[in-house]
Amino acid sequence: MMTGRHTMEQHRHTVEGTDPGLFVEVHEPGTDAGLRPVLLIHGFSSSTKLNWVDSGWITTLQDARRRVITVDLPGHGRSHSPEDQDSYTPSRIRADLLQIVTDAGARPLRDGDPSTGLDVIGYSLGSRLAWEFGATQPDLVHRIVLGGPSSADPLAAFDLIAAQRHLADGTPIEDASTAGLLKMAQMLPSNNLFAMLSLIEAIKGEPFDPGEAAPHMPLLLVAGEKDERATTMPELASLAGKRGGMVETLVIPGRTHNNVITSRAFKEAAVQFLGV
Amino acid sequence: MAEISFPLPDLGEGLIEATVLDWLVEPGQQVERNQPIVELETTKSALELPSPQAGKVVRIHGAPGETINVGEPLIVFEVPDDTAGIVGTVPKDEAPKRRVRLSAVLDED
Repeated sequence: MMTGRHTMEQHRHTVEGTDPGLFVEVHEPGTDAGLRPVLLIHGFSSSTKLNWVDSGWITTLQDARRRVITVDLPGHGRSHSPEDQDSYTPSRIRADLLQIVTDAGARPLRDGDPSTGLDVIGYSLGSRLAWEFGATQPDLVHRIVLGGPSSADPLAAFDLIAAQRHLADGTPIEDASTAGLLKMAQMLPSNNLFAMLSLIEAIKGEPFDPGEAAPHMPLLLVAGEKDERATTMPELASLAGKRGGMVETLVIPGRTHNNVITSRAFKEAAVQFLGV
Repeated sequence: MAEISFPLPDLGEGLIEATVLDWLVEPGQQVERNQPIVELETTKSALELPSPQAGKVVRIHGAPGETINVGEPLIVFEVPDDTAGIVGTVPKDEAPKRRVRLSAVLDED
């Protein structure tokens, strides 16, 4: 197995004056295929480590000779947990991601030069961010892979008041999705609960509206057969297809929203889809 | 030849068990150290375990969907006698870079 070089930093180049302290790593392959870098965007209450390292994605992509950029979202993994709400808004996160990939060497697409542009793989909340990033950066993004994608927005539908009441005095949460997401947010000691709730509040201010801006570049949508959050995946396929982009979908038998991430079929399909 | 057995390692974060999603190796197969051997799911995430050992797989424990407790047998390898890591011998391999630490049943560490 190849082990490539590996650099990491607390990102310092700010786009809006305040520094959200995002933790960025660039994973170099042993030998480089000469293709554009791949940006990985993890899911809610996860991290680069859980979503991409432990699940085997980094080594899979390095073995495919790809250069990989990973970022911990604000309040997640090794990133800071800023106190200002603005640092958690999806639009601000997209702006920070653009700055990060630019600093890591991604350049606008140029015809005939496979080293230009950027491929993006997102998972769950990361898929929402990748969809919007692709839609708003057509000159940069070459291809996108979305894992566990949904046209709905479970985080925008999160019952923040019920969650806060539950945290204060243990009142049970009626909404099953809210209860599940809060449990997820509480499970990881490395993730800051205040930051998780700030992110949810910021997302409520900018809920996902996939029809507002859809990506035009080729798109691969992947979900587990038992992924209840991704039952709306065909709607995303249809929205992107209407913009004229090439859309492929892949359903992984037997897998759920949580465990599709380690699937070999998912990884192999992504490597092949992005390897052009 | 000797057999060396590895239990499900401590996965951290207070996890006590994991469910097998898919085995990536099968009995009779020769595997390299750090090659992914199994996909597991915990209450927190899904992950791949890298092989703690180079050698031929003799047995694997846990069919897809079955739950294994930390410390219970996971995989057994057949290795040449002088690399078995039995108490009193020193494995000749270099220290591996591991994402999850596994230690052999017979190892003291």
